[in-house]
Amino acid sequence: MIAQQLVNGLMLGAIYVLVAVSFTLSIGILNFLNFSIPGLFMVGGMVTWILIGKGLHWSLAILGAVAAAGLVALAVERLSYRRSQAREPEVPLVSSLGFLVLLENLALVGAGSDQQAFPALVPDFNLRVAGLVVGGAQLVSLAVALVLVVAVSLVLSRTSLGRQVRSIAENRDTAVILGIDVGRLVPAIFLLSAVFTALGGVLFALNYLQVSPFMGEGVGFKGVAAMILGGMGSIWGAVAGGLLIGLTEVMSITFLGADVVNVTVYGLLLAVMVLRPQGLFGRPPAREKL
Amino acid sequence: MSALLTVENLSIAFGGLQVLQDLGFTVPEGQATALIGPNGAGKTTVFNLVSGVYRPTGGRILLRGQDITALPSRRRIRHGIARSFQNVRLMDHLSVVENLLVGQHATTRGLRDLLVPFRLVPNHRWRREAVDALAEAGLAAHADSAVGALPYGIRKRVDLVRATLAGASLLMLDEPAAGLNPTETNSLRDHLALLRRRGVTLLVVEHDMQFVGEVCEHVVVLDFGQKLAEGTLAQVQRDERVRAAYLGQAA
Amino acid sequence: MTGYQSGLLVILCFNVIAAYAVYLPMAAGQLNLGVAGFMATGAYAAAYLTNEAGWPMGAAIPAGGACAGLLALLVAVPILRTQGIYLALATFALGQVIAAVFLNLDVVGGAAGYTVTAYAGPGAVFAATAAIVAAVLLLSRTRFALYLTAIKSDPVVTDLMGVNVRAVQVGALTLGAVVGGLGGGLYGHHFSFVEAQHFNVALSIFTVLYVLLGGVQTVWGPLVGAAFFTLLPEVLRVGGGWRYVLFALLIIGFMALRPQGLVTAGARWPARLRERWRGRSPRPAGRPAAEARLSTEVSGS
Repeated sequence: MIAQQLVNGLMLGAIYVLVAVSFTLSIGILNFLNFSIPGLFMVGGMVTWILIGKGLHWSLAILGAVAAAGLVALAVERLSYRRSQAREPEVPLVSSLGFLVLLENLALVGAGSDQQAFPALVPDFNLRVAGLVVGGAQLVSLAVALVLVVAVSLVLSRTSLGRQVRSIAENRDTAVILGIDVGRLVPAIFLLSAVFTALGGVLFALNYLQVSPFMGEGVGFKGVAAMILGGMGSIWGAVAGGLLIGLTEVMSITFLGADVVNVTVYGLLLAVMVLRPQGLFGRPPAREKL
Repeated sequence: MSALLTVENLSIAFGGLQVLQDLGFTVPEGQATALIGPNGAGKTTVFNLVSGVYRPTGGRILLRGQDITALPSRRRIRHGIARSFQNVRLMDHLSVVENLLVGQHATTRGLRDLLVPFRLVPNHRWRREAVDALAEAGLAAHADSAVGALPYGIRKRVDLVRATLAGASLLMLDEPAAGLNPTETNSLRDHLALLRRRGVTLLVVEHDMQFVGEVCEHVVVLDFGQKLAEGTLAQVQRDERVRAAYLGQAA
Repeated sequence: MTGYQSGLLVILCFNVIAAYAVYLPMAAGQLNLGVAGFMATGAYAAAYLTNEAGWPMGAAIPAGGACAGLLALLVAVPILRTQGIYLALATFALGQVIAAVFLNLDVVGGAAGYTVTAYAGPGAVFAATAAIVAAVLLLSRTRFALYLTAIKSDPVVTDLMGVNVRAVQVGALTLGAVVGGLGGGLYGHHFSFVEAQHFNVALSIFTVLYVLLGGVQTVWGPLVGAAFFTLLPEVLRVGGGWRYVLFALLIIGFMALRPQGLVTAGARWPARLRERWRGRSPRPAGRPAAEARLSTEVSGS
């Protein structure tokens, strides 16, 4: 029973991982708390649903949804992030929130506020290993999350592109002086983060077989929690945080009831922030020099 | 003449880099002491240690014989240590006079001073004192200007005036004349003379040796985090090691 | 005044109170993403006191504010060890926990909500809001408010000037929580009902949104932001279902074109006007001069 819940928690966690990685890329590299991410998550699920409804093959529908999220992310980069460089740090946050409101209400106008049934794309099979049941959609989620995270982590640590990205994270001004094309890399980071988030939304729809204009909020905010828990700016921290949040959620639903989920999940987050503000894998902030 | 500030065996390292090594010198009360040396000698680090921004890895800092090495940075201004900043650090969100009002903080007492809506009172004593201090430095016209709009020379002087408002007995000035034009430098010299007459002790980091000679009677020379020489400007200028350090840098 | 107008005005009042709850810490550069939690604390505490302890509203609502403040004080000390975005996210977590705790607290109705027997009419809401705004305006003329801005600008230098930066920050967060708690208490007593679901992340985040929309450079910004945020969707009603879409587009466009907020530093207006009088063109607001930005760089030896 507990082992089965562990499996379920990890599968749910895989979705949080994707969102948390998306947040952590944005915060860690660009120092931008991008609140449009829950909106991109919803775009992933909703646009896939809409395109399938229009008769497109599911693969094209997913592609279309990811592309739509990518376009929105580029708009966020242009209008929220780039225009407010070197000013009040809260401004891009507000503006990205504007995008969240925009996306949710566009979906609301287009599809109404109801939960919509999402077709079961993954054949309904169950894998039974040592008495544990793993659903097909769950397996797909875990595999997609794993592949994406390993890929982005390899790109960041092994390639020259990754080195350039990390130098932006270290110090943007120095990166510019070193001749790194920040103007091209930054939109690329936004695109990457959109791909992660949108696929997270698709996987969510696959697992829960429903989409709605507000589906991004709960998951998005838990993704933020997962990111902090793991340590801002750390990819593997986001992975650990996402899985931990997924586990905590499933475990508290099983043993304490669905109502207390937010108490345990965010209580855990708060406790970590008080005891270890930099998160499980983050580096402590250094004191400014004079 | 008694020592206002004494540092003993002061050492600090950042990472593997030993920035100061067993540095010791005294600042006599009522005098102006210059801290000179080539770039990277550790002059600003001394200021950061004395004002408490950094903790030394070894050694002691004494103010009138009292050990303040472990005193939190914010307490030091009430003990009489105020400073200006090499890269002018005025608060850009505040006007000139508002910056000075913050500089006055050490002279205020308790919650009442914190929470009285004094800015409803026209020409309140605090504002008057701040504007008077500006006037003494010849800057009264800029009282209500936005800090960011001012030319560098003016900002630099405002930074200094702010440091004087705490009523400190030791004023540490980090390159006060750097970037000033000759008129501004003259005005700065007059301003420092006025502060000296009031009994303020000065510790000045400065590269302009003519300025040092005119303002400071006591000079401490640093190089690579250690004291090379101490004495009057004329004395240290005759010192072989000092000449070597400066010529070495020039070469 | 029609029912619609007075209803709208009441909503405006609650938004203004929430805005000032967020504004106080934000003036010191602390982003509070959990204000709904403090409002919930005030709402539930005040409602419990009038319902179960028989307190008069005039005592129960301030006591609710005090409870919220106490809670803020308790968590502020450990939370404020963190800085910048960490602090914002810690308040975010806190807000979530508080709302979730009330959702599970059966003594105040749990998920079903909590009916409040005492009623505060629109007049009481208007009066209380006016009093809170007046108090914040008074506060803005003190050294405390000056230090908030100083800390936002340069905490290291403010510390060296002798200001206890941590204490001022704790004070700002706590005072903000008291204001939020008062707003929550009023809210519960006006609508005669409190439910934890109302005090969600969206409430916290939207409050931050309209404070920033108004601008944090002056004490008037939150008032203008709250008014803008409350009234604009009403104006946009003509757009039907599209009104929040239009609203969001306005927010995005506005932040792209005028990121410093609607209201900019009033304190500088006299100086700026004088400069204009002398025929000098003033620096555009909200954009620090180039040399001003260099000042945060690390100095030499």
